[in-house]
Amino acid sequence: MINMWENIFKFRQKHADDTDKILLNIPVFKNLNHHDLRAIKRILHQREYRTNEVIFNQGDVGLGMYIIMRGEVEIICNPGRHMLAELQDGDFFGELALLDEAPRSATAVAKKPCVLLCFFKPELLDIINRNPKLGGKILFRLAWTIGERLKSTNEKIRELCFQKKNDE
Amino acid sequence: MSDNTNKLFKIALLLIISSAIIVFLVAISNIVKLIIIAALLAYVLDPLASFLESRGMNRTTATISIFLLLIAVVGIAYVLLLPVLSEEISTLKEGFSSEKADLVISRFENFLVSNLSFLGVKELNLLDRMHGITSSIGDWMVTHVLDAASILVSIILIPFIVFFLMKDGRQFKKEFVSIVPNRYFEFSLYLLHKINIQVGNYLRGQVLDATIVGLLATGALWLLGVKYFLIIGVFAGMANIIPYFGPITGATIAVIVSVLQTGDFHLASYVVIAFIIIKLFDDTIILPMVMSKSVHISPLTVLLAIMIGGQLFGILGMLLSIPVAGFIKVIVHESITNYRRYRVV
Repeated sequence: MINMWENIFKFRQKHADDTDKILLNIPVFKNLNHHDLRAIKRILHQREYRTNEVIFNQGDVGLGMYIIMRGEVEIICNPGRHMLAELQDGDFFGELALLDEAPRSATAVAKKPCVLLCFFKPELLDIINRNPKLGGKILFRLAWTIGERLKSTNEKIRELCFQKKNDE
Repeated sequence: MSDNTNKLFKIALLLIISSAIIVFLVAISNIVKLIIIAALLAYVLDPLASFLESRGMNRTTATISIFLLLIAVVGIAYVLLLPVLSEEISTLKEGFSSEKADLVISRFENFLVSNLSFLGVKELNLLDRMHGITSSIGDWMVTHVLDAASILVSIILIPFIVFFLMKDGRQFKKEFVSIVPNRYFEFSLYLLHKINIQVGNYLRGQVLDATIVGLLATGALWLLGVKYFLIIGVFAGMANIIPYFGPITGATIAVIVSVLQTGDFHLASYVVIAFIIIKLFDDTIILPMVMSKSVHISPLTVLLAIMIGGQLFGILGMLLSIPVAGFIKVIVHESITNYRRYRVV
């Protein structure tokens, strides 16, 4: 009997540890303490998607970011269903929607059965409102992440320009 | 063809389920009313709880603190205002017994009879009718407003529901969203977000506006020495929630009472000036500050919403009709805007 309870608690502990590990690897939540992490976990939505199920379509109103707990997700750009990226456990996408309400720039489809954690703008605004310290940390990390993406994009553009010049 | 049949079947199913829900809600309308009032109160008080949370309290402690504060405010109001209010209601129940009032009514009746005799106006018995109306208002207040059983049920149930909605509201929302299919999940959250911003601002703005107008009207009527200043002031504040008609109704009642009280239009003219100043202050300073980010509803929609609300749920329905109209407007507007993307049906 004791073993059964121990197993149940161990399972819950393991599940909690997995979520913590994945969240701490996401740049937006990096370096958060245990208390902050618990507050974040309380506001995340967990969703399950079947293979080939659309998570969001290009052009939909975007409200927030998705974190892959388990599974694989394809990011496709229309027209032509051009594949932009293939994402796996621990990856995240759609974080720009936390800052603006612009339509989604690509479609996200579950390539395998997926478990996703969703972090949305209303919850971010709520956190900023009632826990400004934690809200500030997340916004700072979000700005850092987007800055990194911008640097990487600039790098790619530079490479493309360089390549074009060489080709000419 | 099969696609069309499938679509029709879905629409029929949606209509049947919606009708069943509406019938069920109408059948338990008394409980629904309590839940709606509690939900609105929780909604209005939510920013206060969030503010206390931002000062380091957890949600439960913040909710308890707000409740303790409210109990203190209600307790003080009970001690200070109840004697005045009960005296006003009991004198109202006895009806107007002022000789001046009787004189004014008789003069007014004579004027009508002499000038409108060509329309067949003969005996109006305005005096008896007026006494009947004022005493029936008093009776209505005693049986409805001060009805001990309903007060007891409301005093116990509403705070109970408000407490849990405030404490666990986010969890309820999360549970609700978790049952939405993946396809509509993000859209439903988007809708809730829009409703929260637009209708939430409207509700909080209206409550703040009604409180300020109610206080100003009560103060002005008290300074002018109008009878029943507290009842009329509170009524004027609450009526202010109903756009267009509310402010006029509040002012009209105050004018009638002041005419009946003094027997001439001297005090009534001051009352009119006071209400005009309050209305100008409200329109130019208070409303732009409290309602800037809320949903805009056209005057025709407001009129229709108030009529439908009043027909279904009486005064409470009239008060709740505008936020409900705002709620429906946001849902319809966002659904139409995103129809092609989400193919809701």
